[in-house]
Amino acid sequence: MSLMAITTKQDKDGATGQSGRPSLPVRRSRDRFAGRAFFLITLLPMVLIVLITLALVARSWPILRNNSLWELLTGQVWLPMQGLFGFLPFIAGTFWVTIAAVVLAVPPCLLTSIYLSEYAHNSTRTVMKPLLDLLAAIPSVVYGVWGMIAIVPWVHNTLHPLFDRWLGFIPLFRSDNPTGFSVLAGGIVLAVMIAPFIIAVTYEVMATVQQGLKEASLAVGATRWQTIKFAVLPHSLPGIVAGIVLGSSRALGETMAVLMVVGNVVKVPGSLFDPAYPLPALIANNYGEMMSIPLYDSALLSAALILLVIVMVFNIASTLILRRIMGRVRRAWA
Amino acid sequence: MKKIYRFMLAALLVTLLASACGSKTPGEGQQGTITISGAFALYPMMTRWGEEYQKLYPKVQFDISAGGAGKGMADALGGAVDIGMVSRDVTPDEESQGAYWVAVTKDAVFPVINQKNPVVKDLMAQGLTQEAFARLFISGETKTWGELVGKPEITDKVHVYTRSDSCGAADTWAKYLGAKQENLLGIGVFGDPGLLDAIVKDPLGIGYNNLNYAFDMTSSKPITGVAIVPIDVNANGNADPDEILGTKTEALDAIASNKYPSPPARLLNLVTKGKPSGIVQTFIEWILTDGQQFLSEAGYIPLTPEQLDTFLKKIR
Repeated sequence: MSLMAITTKQDKDGATGQSGRPSLPVRRSRDRFAGRAFFLITLLPMVLIVLITLALVARSWPILRNNSLWELLTGQVWLPMQGLFGFLPFIAGTFWVTIAAVVLAVPPCLLTSIYLSEYAHNSTRTVMKPLLDLLAAIPSVVYGVWGMIAIVPWVHNTLHPLFDRWLGFIPLFRSDNPTGFSVLAGGIVLAVMIAPFIIAVTYEVMATVQQGLKEASLAVGATRWQTIKFAVLPHSLPGIVAGIVLGSSRALGETMAVLMVVGNVVKVPGSLFDPAYPLPALIANNYGEMMSIPLYDSALLSAALILLVIVMVFNIASTLILRRIMGRVRRAWA
Repeated sequence: MKKIYRFMLAALLVTLLASACGSKTPGEGQQGTITISGAFALYPMMTRWGEEYQKLYPKVQFDISAGGAGKGMADALGGAVDIGMVSRDVTPDEESQGAYWVAVTKDAVFPVINQKNPVVKDLMAQGLTQEAFARLFISGETKTWGELVGKPEITDKVHVYTRSDSCGAADTWAKYLGAKQENLLGIGVFGDPGLLDAIVKDPLGIGYNNLNYAFDMTSSKPITGVAIVPIDVNANGNADPDEILGTKTEALDAIASNKYPSPPARLLNLVTKGKPSGIVQTFIEWILTDGQQFLSEAGYIPLTPEQLDTFLKKIR
């Protein structure tokens, strides 16, 4: 407070402007300075990403030099002691778990957002929203413990026998791993973890659809559901896609909760009930052994690099898709 | 500046000693912080040693954390801590990077099954040989519990569990079966408590645990819900009395008398980067001498006098 007072006083004393404010050139140069400073700070994360990527490439170099990239990416055998580094099981595990989580999470999340933005009472909304946000604040290791205590036994005792009996003829549900530690357990835990993010984004988008649009739809005799279907949903499609992308990115990198329930077996999963071994779990599990086996640290950092590339490609691709959708929506409503 | 400081410290010490009529033990002047990280297996013992040492030298502070043998090794070699706790053998590769180690105590890894296992009686009567374990954990030839005990009519599948994190327990168990952790089959579960929990929940499961996780701290019996599979050391097809480990005391005796094979019994090591000096050296020396008396009550096995002698020579 006092500092501000002094500055103002100085400005006045300095007689820089008639109204008591600093003169225009001074304010302009301040403005320029602020702009540049903010630009530099904004640049920092970009620089950081580039630096991390470069460091990862440099550290993975020994293994990339000794093995062809194709062999590394498609190899299925992981025996570091014998110098065999096949990343395919880990890459496949990452995608299996992520896809399972997104498929499980998206439909209920969308329905929740629609309900909250279109149907719910104001009072319901004020209670539900903070509760949903709270889900995002729970540490991932807590989700992991919950997964081990509740979800793994549930998959083991209930889901697997059920699917085995009624849908066992479908390869997606057939497995000789009855332990419950599986892609599905990981997917369920992850789905709960990413749900608050998907709901937060999609809800915001649906809530900001112009009121006039909804009123117009209702005025011509549409029911609420028809209004949602023909006015709200098409208009919020880009936001829905963005929410799913955000959730998926989080799912791709989630480590602790997944690694505790997913089984960690180095094999490409063939069914929802097979165990999987995602890339982040590989890094977290074996970080401690980096010093003891030749080329191992290089292999683990290659795993980190692969994960980074997957997340980057996924994000860039989804941004491009988002742009196209937004263009189409805009054209349709123009 | 440093010299003046030292001089003042010496002067202070002399005054203190004079005023205390020289009644205190030498080493009075020890002060500083010792940082330690690593194996879960050694963590409880290390906190105890830290407490006892502080009683003797109140100016020595300890900063102890558990994070697995691999972390202990990586931290010690990377200079993040003074001492790494490593519950497996130190590899030549690690030694070439400057790992200097001494063993301070012994414990063991035990094969565990669920108490409701369909063939639990046969297993407790027959035990399992090294080859039988290898057929489960390494080659995966044995698929059912019936095959394992020679009762083909029992077709319940064996659910093999292993540790997912790189750790001393898995390394030691794999070594017993003539392999490495990466060769162990089975569902990978994180951490000692996680693996134990999986076995408690799965009647058809088999896994392995550290001594202090397999047995209950207070009752000395195996943790409720699990049983320790006797290792048929002499492969006579029978679990002999000294092969059956029903209580922690029996297990401790079996390890101490070398009746329990090694591996899966193992030395627990302390690793420093290069030969230690100063308070770190004095502390490790104390562990190998006076510190050994606290092992038994905490559920660890003291080293033999010859072993202690070897490692004392190594650290001095």
